Amino acid sequence: MDTLDAAELSPRDLNRRLKELTANGRAEVTILNPGARHNLAVGILKPCTVQFKGSVGYFAASMIDGPEVTIDGNAGWALGENMMGGRIVLTKDAGASLAASMRGGEVIVGGNAGARAGISMKGGTLVIEGNSGFLTGFMMQKGRIIVCGDIGEAVGDSMYEGTIYVGGKIGSLGNDAKLEEATEGELIEIWSVLADNGIDKKPRFRKVVSQKKLYHFDSLERLEMAAV
Amino acid sequence: MCGISGIIYKNARQNGQAPVGRDLVRMLDSLAHRGRDSSGVTIAGEDFDGDYIVRMWTDDEDRADVVLARAEEAATRAGCVVTARQSWGGYLRLIVNFEGEVRGLAEATIATDGVELHSIGRVSEVVKDVGTASVLAEKHGVGGLRGTHGIGHVRMATESKVDISHAHPFWAYPFPDVTVVHNGQLTNYHKLKRRYEDHGHRFQTGNDSEVIAVYLADKLARGDALDKALGDSLNDLDGTFTYVVSTEDGLGCAKDQWSAKPLVTMETDEVVAVASEEVALRSVFSEEIDRVEPQQREFMTWTL
Repeated sequence: MDTLDAAELSPRDLNRRLKELTANGRAEVTILNPGARHNLAVGILKPCTVQFKGSVGYFAASMIDGPEVTIDGNAGWALGENMMGGRIVLTKDAGASLAASMRGGEVIVGGNAGARAGISMKGGTLVIEGNSGFLTGFMMQKGRIIVCGDIGEAVGDSMYEGTIYVGGKIGSLGNDAKLEEATEGELIEIWSVLADNGIDKKPRFRKVVSQKKLYHFDSLERLEMAAV
Repeated sequence: MCGISGIIYKNARQNGQAPVGRDLVRMLDSLAHRGRDSSGVTIAGEDFDGDYIVRMWTDDEDRADVVLARAEEAATRAGCVVTARQSWGGYLRLIVNFEGEVRGLAEATIATDGVELHSIGRVSEVVKDVGTASVLAEKHGVGGLRGTHGIGHVRMATESKVDISHAHPFWAYPFPDVTVVHNGQLTNYHKLKRRYEDHGHRFQTGNDSEVIAVYLADKLARGDALDKALGDSLNDLDGTFTYVVSTEDGLGCAKDQWSAKPLVTMETDEVVAVASEEVALRSVFSEEIDRVEPQQREFMTWTL
């Protein structure tokens, strides 16, 4: 196990050291004193574990594919932006644009999320144990967002595909979004996702999906064509 | 993009002045990546012997002594008794005793060619310059100023020119002690500005943020409480904004309907700090405190 002290390194040097340490596959790295600085642990494409002892700033663990990143603290805007795979666990609150454009993997937030969580999400699972803010799932295209607490206004505005599960109150639905009851099968699946992540809650989730009136889906994607 | 910050020591009136200048410089230093065009602070609640602090500046560097002496003379003619005077570069800071209307004093001062007023305050003053917060610390000694509360800003200019007068904070001419720092762009600035000009207000700059200060000060002068003024501003200001306002005895912040610009806060029994990013709050709190992020259409106020 390696330890890096972020207080002694610039973000660029810290990311370079992380890449070196994780270059040969599995590694365990603990990062001390991240001090809520930006752009930490970005672009790591190998399986490894990275643990931050403290808050991180903007774009933390963005563009990753493979690592398991744990953050004991808060995150600024765009945690896990565009991540392809791997897992991010945040113990406290996330800022705006959480997991923006994420394509795969899991992001687990122990606290609340700010505005535009899961904006333009293209796959994977985003779990928020607390509440989620304004415009959650804005223009979402794939994947699922699970919010155990309350969710703010304009949920799922202009979403194409994907599902937003809400355990608590809903501020309002966004354009072209609709509310549906989750099936028993879905509930069991979502509860098991929570249990797997150590979240001891079983809210009666409702789900927000697209009405599909805003866009016209008259052609299939390449992979969908093959399946037809 | 800009960086904003604010801090208030809630019990400073009982416990004595706090290192507000040091805290603001630290916060602005850690937000330097959000803007390097200019920087500025309001420091409120300093100890000084007089009725008002008057801060002015001239861009006529070669003749600064002459121009500023004229402005001081004009202030004296308007009824000021100067008890202390400091001048450096193009800046002049006066401590004055004055019993008349602040508007009269302000108008007399800016009638002097080449002079711009940065603030008149019963308890506060605005210090601003081009460059980063280290300029404020080195050239203006801001780090050593003690008080009860204050606000700060680092600017990446989008809406108007880069010079000292267009640096934040903006003082709400001619209302003493109301100053604002803003991150964002107002889209109904011209409409609001014209409305206030029709009512006799005079704007000091071409910057959209200045109108927020005038808007809030006008409401406060009409008897509204600070939280009422902030709440109304969410409907009356159009565009993107997160702003922090400093008044004679308090601090407030507000976020627009889109939550477009960031702000996070940390609070203990003694002190509240607000800033664009957590990295700035961490520069003043060493202990682990919960961070609160106001959401869209949210505002918060604190008083001494």
